[in-house]
Amino acid sequence: MSSNDRTLPKGVTAADFDKAMREIRAIVGAEHVLVDEEPLAPYNKIMMPVADAQHAPSAAVMPDGVEEIQRIVKVANTYRIPVYPVSTGKNIGYGSAAPVQRGQIVLDLRRMNRILDVDAELCTALVEPGVTYQQLYDYLQENKLPLWFSCPAPSAIAGPVGNMVDRGVGYTPYGEHFMFSCGMEVVLADGEVLRTGMGAMENSNTWQVFKWGYGPTLDGIFTQSNYGIVTKMGMWLMPAPPDFRPFCIQYPNETDITKIVDALRPLRIAMVIPNAVVIAHTLWEAPCTPVKRADYFTGPGAIPDDAVLKIQADHGIGAWNVYAGLYGTKETNDANWKIIEAVAAGTGGTIITEEASRGSQALQYRFDLMKGKPNLGEFGLYNWRGGGGSVWFAPVSQAKGTETLKQMKMAKEILGKYGFDYVGEFIVGWRDMHHVIDLLYDRSDETQTKNAYACYDELLHTFANEGYGMYRASTAFAEKVAATYGPVKRDVEKRLKKALDPNNIIAPGRCGISL
Amino acid sequence: MGANRLACLVVGAGAMLGAAGVAAGQWRDGAQVYEKVCAHCHEANVGPVLKGRQLPQVYIERVVRHGNRAMPSFRPSEIDDTALAEVAQLIGASAPAVKE
Repeated sequence: MSSNDRTLPKGVTAADFDKAMREIRAIVGAEHVLVDEEPLAPYNKIMMPVADAQHAPSAAVMPDGVEEIQRIVKVANTYRIPVYPVSTGKNIGYGSAAPVQRGQIVLDLRRMNRILDVDAELCTALVEPGVTYQQLYDYLQENKLPLWFSCPAPSAIAGPVGNMVDRGVGYTPYGEHFMFSCGMEVVLADGEVLRTGMGAMENSNTWQVFKWGYGPTLDGIFTQSNYGIVTKMGMWLMPAPPDFRPFCIQYPNETDITKIVDALRPLRIAMVIPNAVVIAHTLWEAPCTPVKRADYFTGPGAIPDDAVLKIQADHGIGAWNVYAGLYGTKETNDANWKIIEAVAAGTGGTIITEEASRGSQALQYRFDLMKGKPNLGEFGLYNWRGGGGSVWFAPVSQAKGTETLKQMKMAKEILGKYGFDYVGEFIVGWRDMHHVIDLLYDRSDETQTKNAYACYDELLHTFANEGYGMYRASTAFAEKVAATYGPVKRDVEKRLKKALDPNNIIAPGRCGISL
Repeated sequence: MGANRLACLVVGAGAMLGAAGVAAGQWRDGAQVYEKVCAHCHEANVGPVLKGRQLPQVYIERVVRHGNRAMPSFRPSEIDDTALAEVAQLIGASAPAVKE
């Protein structure tokens, strides 16, 4: 490859880049540094509606250990080379392992995959960034530990540290992942190692049990940011309940979302239902059933409502499909089950129990997720349009029926304008809902890719005008999403960046933060 | 349970092999990679069935590293070259899955 073809970091000469790479090879070993185009291909696979080149890495470096990372950031400071840390790199639809900006070095932490501690009495774990949910699940199973964790849908190949740092969510009562993290170790841009909370105190044994420590609580600034490289994370595990009763309630009409949300919100706030209630639209369920889009609609544009109704009828799918679970003893679950039955009957829903769900692929993967059993069932979504294009649009809503209906209608109208289907779900936090929409398109089709970008852009700005902000966004839209939150917040973020990372070397541009 | 500290600050990944299965990226063999990664889609009606199609090893390795449309790419830090060659060989040589 000629030097002209190389993807160099912005403002860095080829000679300096080569010198830096030589120094980094000496730290991690030559076999753990990739600079040529072919070996870097796995780091440039994206599903976002922008050119691969926009997110092409300069190199990938795979350290094993905190000390190696400390030395790498010193080299990065010397040569002003930005590093983009990824843990399992499976933030699919939000950017995968590709750097936020072209020319950054991916700092691939997957080799750091040790489960450092599991305390079965306190139900805590301490893990490195490369640990996958599958690995943690296998560990708990093989050691016969009756402990559960919460994981996101791509759980088998994703991991707890990366997901928490991006403030992902899951489906058990511990589904707000950042809330159930406890204690971090962070390598800062100057090479210092910070342990948050009680971890700052030498000989402390309370790092994984008390989040706050003394003074300002810093953990939050290392999530959805670029202020440090998280190299260890504590997390709380949940004792497996003696009785777990997952269920689905199906509703026939799109407008039923108002009464569903208003009926379930009090149960969620009072923790009768302790996990995140998921309210999935027909077109989320269909591809995971699986149903083929082409069997119902092959024309241009979005799938029409009558075809969606036919899918519902043919495959026993609701317009909305509510998923939640009861976690307790048989006695408490028996009592709470009566409440669930009354709510379903009062709102016109049909309950499907785990027993009645046998044979349904869509229900099975949901019920597995609600007990933290890793799977990839939700990847069925990607067969709906085909072509590997996916970008997640995820505005936050109040947990009020009128609000969710309004958001659904807004999203459906804008998606339809660009020829895309509404494939959405609401995930009930406690008082909020994450409205998660997968904008599915064919990335091999240039027009669809262009339309997907424009559609996302319109969704983003229309929702922002109504006061709806995103809870999370892909790297391609980081800057635009950050801009919707106003100048003061961004200025504070910049001041923090300047204080902690004056040479702007850790993932500049991530979440719109850069000097 | 007697000891509550199950894996106190294990320093080397190798030390986890007995107790915790295999650390990701250090696979026991190709069969384990298939079970823990590939099968989640390719045996679950999500990705296409691969077994019994005599797919060339080099093709499988390339798709795993580059990804293919909705199929994610997998980096050498996730599936090392040796384990990837093993799983590709295993799939290429496999008999078709038995249908009920």
